[in-house]
Amino acid sequence: MELAKVGSLVDCCIGIVVVEEIMGGFWKLRSNNSWRKNVSFLMSVGLLLLFLCQLSLATVHHQRISGSAGDVLEDNPIGRLKVFVYELPGRYNKKWLKRDPRCLTHMFAAEEFVHDFLLKSPVRTLDPEEADWFYTPVYTTCDLTPNGLPLPFKSPRVMRSAISYISMYWPFWNRTEGGDHFFVVPHDFGACFHYQEENAIERGILPVLKRATLVQTFGQNHHVCLKEGSIVIPPYAPPEKMQSRFIPPSTPRSIFVYFRGLFYDIGNDPEGGYYARGARAAVWENFKDNPLFDISTQHTSTYYEDMQRAIFCLCPLGWAPWSPRLVEGVIFGCIPVIIADDIVLPFADAIPWEKIGVFVPEKEVHNLDKILSLISLEQVLEKQKLLANPAIKQAMLFSQPTLPGDAFHQILNGLARKLPHDPHIYLKPGQRVLNWSEGHKKDLKPW
Amino acid sequence: MKKAAGSHRPSRMRSKNRSGFSSDQTSDTAFRSTSISFFRIFIQCMFCIGTLVVGFRFTREAHFLRASFHHPEDSFSRRTGARMGSLVSIGNRSDLDLRIQEEIANDSEAFRLENSETIIRSRVRVDVGRHAILIRPWPHPDPFEVIQAHHLIARVQMEQWQLYGSKESKPIIAITTTFVRSFQAVHLTGLLHTLSLVPVHVTWIVMEAGGVTNETAYFLSKARVHRLLHLGFGDAMPAGLKERGQLEAHMRVEGLRYVREEKMEGIVVFADESNLHSLEFFTEAQKVDWVGAVSIGLLGFAGFEEPAQSRIADVHQEEVGAGRRDNLFARPTFEPQVQGPSCDSKGNLVGWHIFDPLPLEEEVYTGIMLAQNRRLEWPNFVLNARAVWKTEGNQPEWIKSWDEWVTPKDGSAPDIKAILRDDKQVKVLGDCGRKVLLWWLRAEARADSRHPANWVLDENLEIIVPAKSTPWPDRPVRVPSPPPPPAAATVGTGSKRGAGSRVSGGKGRRSKRRQSRPNIS
Repeated sequence: MELAKVGSLVDCCIGIVVVEEIMGGFWKLRSNNSWRKNVSFLMSVGLLLLFLCQLSLATVHHQRISGSAGDVLEDNPIGRLKVFVYELPGRYNKKWLKRDPRCLTHMFAAEEFVHDFLLKSPVRTLDPEEADWFYTPVYTTCDLTPNGLPLPFKSPRVMRSAISYISMYWPFWNRTEGGDHFFVVPHDFGACFHYQEENAIERGILPVLKRATLVQTFGQNHHVCLKEGSIVIPPYAPPEKMQSRFIPPSTPRSIFVYFRGLFYDIGNDPEGGYYARGARAAVWENFKDNPLFDISTQHTSTYYEDMQRAIFCLCPLGWAPWSPRLVEGVIFGCIPVIIADDIVLPFADAIPWEKIGVFVPEKEVHNLDKILSLISLEQVLEKQKLLANPAIKQAMLFSQPTLPGDAFHQILNGLARKLPHDPHIYLKPGQRVLNWSEGHKKDLKPW
Repeated sequence: MKKAAGSHRPSRMRSKNRSGFSSDQTSDTAFRSTSISFFRIFIQCMFCIGTLVVGFRFTREAHFLRASFHHPEDSFSRRTGARMGSLVSIGNRSDLDLRIQEEIANDSEAFRLENSETIIRSRVRVDVGRHAILIRPWPHPDPFEVIQAHHLIARVQMEQWQLYGSKESKPIIAITTTFVRSFQAVHLTGLLHTLSLVPVHVTWIVMEAGGVTNETAYFLSKARVHRLLHLGFGDAMPAGLKERGQLEAHMRVEGLRYVREEKMEGIVVFADESNLHSLEFFTEAQKVDWVGAVSIGLLGFAGFEEPAQSRIADVHQEEVGAGRRDNLFARPTFEPQVQGPSCDSKGNLVGWHIFDPLPLEEEVYTGIMLAQNRRLEWPNFVLNARAVWKTEGNQPEWIKSWDEWVTPKDGSAPDIKAILRDDKQVKVLGDCGRKVLLWWLRAEARADSRHPANWVLDENLEIIVPAKSTPWPDRPVRVPSPPPPPAAATVGTGSKRGAGSRVSGGKGRRSKRRQSRPNIS
C-alpha cells in the first residue's frame, strides 16, 4: 500500500510539472526564463525516471490478492444486500446450544457464529419485503457424541421441520421454494448429512434444499454433495487461540515440511487404504525417514509455533477433503501443500489458491519430496508474499468481534455477488417444484 | 533562437508596458491579472487531482500488466525434462510392487459394483472405496533434491532476515576466557557454532589462561567469524572456584584493554564458554546504547544433589507440618534460577535479582558456586565498545573512566558493574529482563580428570573384542567342572583372555578348539 501512495505522489508531481510546462507555453509565463524551463524539464525527466524505477521496486512485504472474481477480498458487503433472519423457536437453535455448549468451539461452530453475526450486522433487515436473502438459523451440527463429534442422523429431520415451520408462518419460502434462502451446513459432506462418503453420496443433498444456496465447508468438484453455486467456507478455528501464539517473523523457517496428525485411522480403518484414500498412509510410508519431513502423530504443545518455523505444511484429506490445517497454515504463513483431488477451497472466487498453495495429485504423493524440492525459489517467495497479506489471514477467521474482511464478510460478499436473483426462481402462486416425500424414509418422519 | 528571443522580448516589453501604462487602469488590469492567476491556480489544482487519480490507476495498471506477464509456471515439469525418464521408470517399478496391493483393491471391486449405480449417477471422478497405498521401491531421498531443498531453506531465511530482521547491524565483539581442560571441547564447540551463526560481523577475542595452546587453536580454527583473536594470558588457571573467578575477571579486563587500544567498534558481549546463548540475545544486544543488562538462567544447580535436596525438604516440613510428609520425595520447588535486572510495571530498572543458592557441600564438585559476596556476573552486562575507549569526553558521565573501575581500590578482582555510576541508566534487554536470553551451564569435570588431547585418540583402545554380533554369550555359560588335564592346560595358556567365562560360548575358532580338546582327552 505504501508503494501505491508513493507512486501516486510521484505521479502528482509529474502532473504538476507537466502542467507547468503546458501552462508556461500556453499562457506565456511572465518569467519566461530559459533556465527555468530547462530546470523544470530536467525535473520532469528525473521524476519520470523515478516513476519508472518504482515499477521495479521488489522489496514489498506482501502482494495484493485478486481471485477469479477480481479484487474482491476487501469488498464491503454492507449496503449491497439485505438479509432477513427468521425467528425460529428455541428448539431449533438455542436448545441445542444449551444442551451442549461444545458446539461453540468445535470445527463446525460456524453455523452458530454466523447466526450471531447476522443478528447484529447492519445488513440485517427487519422488513422481509426488502430482503434479498433469507437466513434460517437451524443448528443441524450440534447433536454431539460424548467425544464431541456431531451425529448427523437427526439433521435431515430437523432441517425439514425448520423449513416446514418457515413455510407455514412466512410466505417467502413458498414464493421461491428456497431460491433466495441460504443455509449454513458446515458438516463433513455438507447437506448430504452423513460422515461416511459412500452413505453421503447415496443420500445426496437433502431434496428440500435443492433450490437453496448452501454455505458449507465441504467442496469437491463433480461430487453429489457440492451444489453448484454453494459458498465454501473455512472450518471454524478459534481466532484468539491462534493469534496469541505468534512468534517474531524474523525467526528463521528451518523446517522444510511439517505435519502433525493421523496417518492411519486404526479405529475405523485398521488396514489402511480407506482413510484419506491411502494418501496419508503413503506420506508416512514414503517419508517417515526423510530428514526434511517433520511428520508425526504425536501431539505437541508447540504446534502453532512449529508451523511458523516451517516452509511447507501438509494439508492432506482425511475422511473428508477439507481440513482446518489450511486455515492454520494461512494464518501462520506456512505454504499449504494440498493433497486432495478435485477439492474446492474456501472462497475460491476471491482467493487465487493456485497461486498461494501447492496442489499435489493423490497419485503423485510418493514423489512429494521431488515435487517440493524442485519448486523454484521465486515461486516460493511469491507464495510467501501472498500469504503475508493480512487480508487473506483475515478472510480465513471468524473473528469475535467481527472485523472488516473476515470470513463473515466474505460470506456476505459471496451472497452479494449472486445478486440480483434470476427472475426464474420466483414461482407462480400455487406452483410447486419440490417433492416433500422425496428422500430416505427415515428422514420423512417429522421432528 | 536569438530572433525568437528577440521576438519574445518585445512582447514581454509590450506586456510590461501594458501593465506599466495602465497606471490609471491599475484596478482594471490588477483585477484581470488576479482573476487570471486565480483561474490558473484553479486549473492547476484540478489537473493535480486528476493526475493523482489517473497516476494511481496508471501505476496499478502497469503493476497488473507486469504481474500478468510474469506467469509463474510450475518449473517442476520444465526442469525435470531430463529426469522424466527416471521418474517414469520409478513409476513402472512401483507398478510391479503395486500388483500385490492391486489385489486388495480388486477385492473392493465387488463393493464398488454395488455402488456403481450411485457412482454413475454422481459422476464422481474420485472413486470411493479402498485405494492402494503407493510406496515407491526406493523411498530414500535423492541427494540432489536434498541439496535443492537446503538451498531453498537458506534462501528463504535470507529473505526473512531482509524483510523482518533487525535493521541495525552493529558488529559484535565477544570476549571469552578459556583454558585447556576436559570440558573445554564441550563448551567451546557450542559457543563456536553459536557465534558462527550470528548474522552480523563477530570479532571473537579468546583469552586463554596459561598461554596460547595448540589444542584451543584446533577448536578455534573451525570458527566462522569475521575476526578471531586468540590471546594468551600468562598465569595458569587455578583449581579453586573463587580464584578461578578472579582470574577470569582479570582476563576479561585484558580483553577489554585490547578493545580499548585497537579502538574497536561494536557491542561487547561477554560470551563465556560455559554459557548457552540464544540468537535472540545477539539481536537484543543491538539495542544497547551504552550499557545493557540481560537476565541469565542458571542451570546445573547443585541443589539437585542429595544434601541440598534434603535441606529443602526440611524447610518444607517446617513450614507446612505433618500434612506434607508424603511430599518429601516429590519434586521440591525452587524459585526461578534467574539472575539479572528487575523492572517495575512501567519498565524502569528498580534493582537486581541475584540468585542465592543453598550452600554446597564442599566435596561435591558439581558446579561453580556463585560468588558468596552476591555479585552479578560479567555476562549479565552488554557494553558499547566506546565505553572503554580512551576518549573519555565522549562517554556519558554515568560511566566511569577506565582507570577508575579497572583496578579496584581494595585489591579484589575487577567487576563490570563498577563501570556504572548510576544504575538507572542501564538499558534492560529482553522484555525488561523477563526473557531469559542466555543460560549458564555450571558443569565441569573434575580437575584431575583425564581426557585425550582434543578428544582424538592417536591409537586404538586397548581392549579388542572379535568382530561378531555380540561379544557376550547368548546363553549362560557352563564351565566344565573338573579341571582340565595338563595336556589341555597348554591350550589354556595359549589364549590369554583371562577369565574363562568370557571366551567360551562364542563361535571363534579358538574356543571351539578349546571345547573339542576335553572331548578328545
